[in-house]
Amino acid sequence: MDILVNFLRLVLLSMVPFVLAGQGTMLGGRTGVFNVAQEGIMLVGASLGFLVSYMTGSIFLGMVAAMASGALFGLALAYFTTNLKMDQFVIGLALFFIGIGLSTLLPKLVIGITLSPPLIPTLKDISIPLLSQIPVIGPIFFQQNILVYVSILVSIGLWYFLFRTQKGLEIRAVGEHPMTADSLGINTTSSRYWTTIVGGALIGLAGAYLPMVYTGTFTELMVMGRGWLAIALTFFGGWSPLPILFGSLFFSGVEVLAFRVQVIGSIVPYQFLIMLPYIATILVMIFTFGKSRVPSFLGKNYDREKRSV
Amino acid sequence: MTIVKKILPYLIAVLASFVAAGIFIALMGFDVFRAYSTILFTSFRTPNGFIQTLLKFIPLVLQALAFTIPLTAGKFNIGGEGQMIVGAIGATAAGIMFANLPPILLIPIVILAGVLTGAIWGFIPAYLLYKFKINEILTTVLLNFVSFALIDYVATGPWRDPTAGHPTTITIGSNGFLPLLINNPPLHTGLLLAIAVAAGIYIYTSRTTGGYELIATGANPQAAGIYGIKVRRMFVFSLVLAGAVAGLSGALEVAGVQHRLIEGMQSNFLVLGLIIGLISRGNNLAVPFVAFFIAVLEVGASAMQRTLMIPVQMVFIVEALILLFVLLSDVVASRRKS
Repeated sequence: MDILVNFLRLVLLSMVPFVLAGQGTMLGGRTGVFNVAQEGIMLVGASLGFLVSYMTGSIFLGMVAAMASGALFGLALAYFTTNLKMDQFVIGLALFFIGIGLSTLLPKLVIGITLSPPLIPTLKDISIPLLSQIPVIGPIFFQQNILVYVSILVSIGLWYFLFRTQKGLEIRAVGEHPMTADSLGINTTSSRYWTTIVGGALIGLAGAYLPMVYTGTFTELMVMGRGWLAIALTFFGGWSPLPILFGSLFFSGVEVLAFRVQVIGSIVPYQFLIMLPYIATILVMIFTFGKSRVPSFLGKNYDREKRSV
Repeated sequence: MTIVKKILPYLIAVLASFVAAGIFIALMGFDVFRAYSTILFTSFRTPNGFIQTLLKFIPLVLQALAFTIPLTAGKFNIGGEGQMIVGAIGATAAGIMFANLPPILLIPIVILAGVLTGAIWGFIPAYLLYKFKINEILTTVLLNFVSFALIDYVATGPWRDPTAGHPTTITIGSNGFLPLLINNPPLHTGLLLAIAVAAGIYIYTSRTTGGYELIATGANPQAAGIYGIKVRRMFVFSLVLAGAVAGLSGALEVAGVQHRLIEGMQSNFLVLGLIIGLISRGNNLAVPFVAFFIAVLEVGASAMQRTLMIPVQMVFIVEALILLFVLLSDVVASRRKS
């Protein structure tokens, strides 16, 4: 029983980067901007989040910096695609490259090369009074770090916003048929901008989670494909906040399982366990791709001056 | 005149990114002029510098082609890194298992093993695309991460070199080493093979019916399908060919440079290959020239890190900025037209 409780606790703990990056991708995609720079943005978020926490001693400022850098990448993506009408995938790749470069360059310039890695204190668990005392459920759901709660609240908030408010309906219209939305007086440009910027901030925060919870330090390429997995998760979750939240449990479940089996030791060489999340994702894509609901204007750029889209 | 007009945006893009990065370098308190002269001229100052550049050029041009070949058909292969690693594994396995064969047999076997295993790695996303219509971008990327674990498994397995601290295999049979063009510093004959492949791909895509069908598929798959081109087969073919080319780059690294499998030997060739392919805008004639230029920058970057203590990633950012400015020049060009 203890093993199971501990396992589920870890699954919830490890879902956070997937949830935040998935929701960030979803939000921009809902207005048609398909971000593929997750891996790069998460690296910058991890790098800058770590550096700022390390220099200032405040993990909160680190998070703010990670979100700001993600927002900046979102802004660049929005500008290049919405204003300059550049190919979303190509510009996303270019931003991904810049992200890789910046994430390794910054620590080298600021900290330099050290023998032992500089460390920041990792995020502490916050026990919710009373609720955390409930057996089984308490330790799984109510003794987690703050970002676990935040990621769940963000998911619910986004669901409420997109599916229960007028503004959310407008956002979804922009991603389905921007011309119609435009003719109804919805500002397609500003919609695409702010969703991509906020989405970028969430992705940046997802990256900062890795040094702040897992390692306490930044290592090169530490995101290890989680950014790309988040894209798969977003498709898996049909570009909807709640399915993405629940879908992330599968992704983190596989990750934790692979890690636990490694620790316990098994006849299977550990390298094949490391492969597991990626192979599992590919298998999941076989069964869910094509069936999942995608915003119809995803990945396209809307030109207001053209007669048709 | 037209060639000048074609190259001009590139020159401006390079200049703009040098200026942008230069401001950053100056703000960090480094000597900008010395940094740039190191980056640009290290390759040409000494024979060693030039040969280092050519050695970098080989994997870069092949990685870039592994990206541009499917791009011609409108498909994105972001898996050149995995295909290279698996190709290197295949080449190493062949070189160790058949170590006693004479060179005339072993060298082709090592190279072919790399090409074949790379092609198989490229076939997986191609098949998933063909059979289940799964977007190739994510599958090719995810297979890179699978290959990282695979190379670690092989390099720490039965063939592990116990004297090396880093996961590394024992060397392949010395009969499998590629002959050298120049002995000191060593430059292997893989260079000729890489140039031949680049020329072959260019001729294939621009002068043959098969290449034309590839271009037609990329330009408008629906129209191509109506005219009887088997579009989905073209996708598969282009991705498998890309895997083969990337696999070759892995085999050449093993047979020509390292003579063994080393974890991390793929360096950052994938990302540089993508940058080269995108700067070339998928034009296979431009790829070798851009690849050489990037190789010059990369060799210069290592020298700059050694002598001036500026991290190599600075140059990587310059390269990404060049790409960004080249892409922006398209926007400028299309605005002037309309």
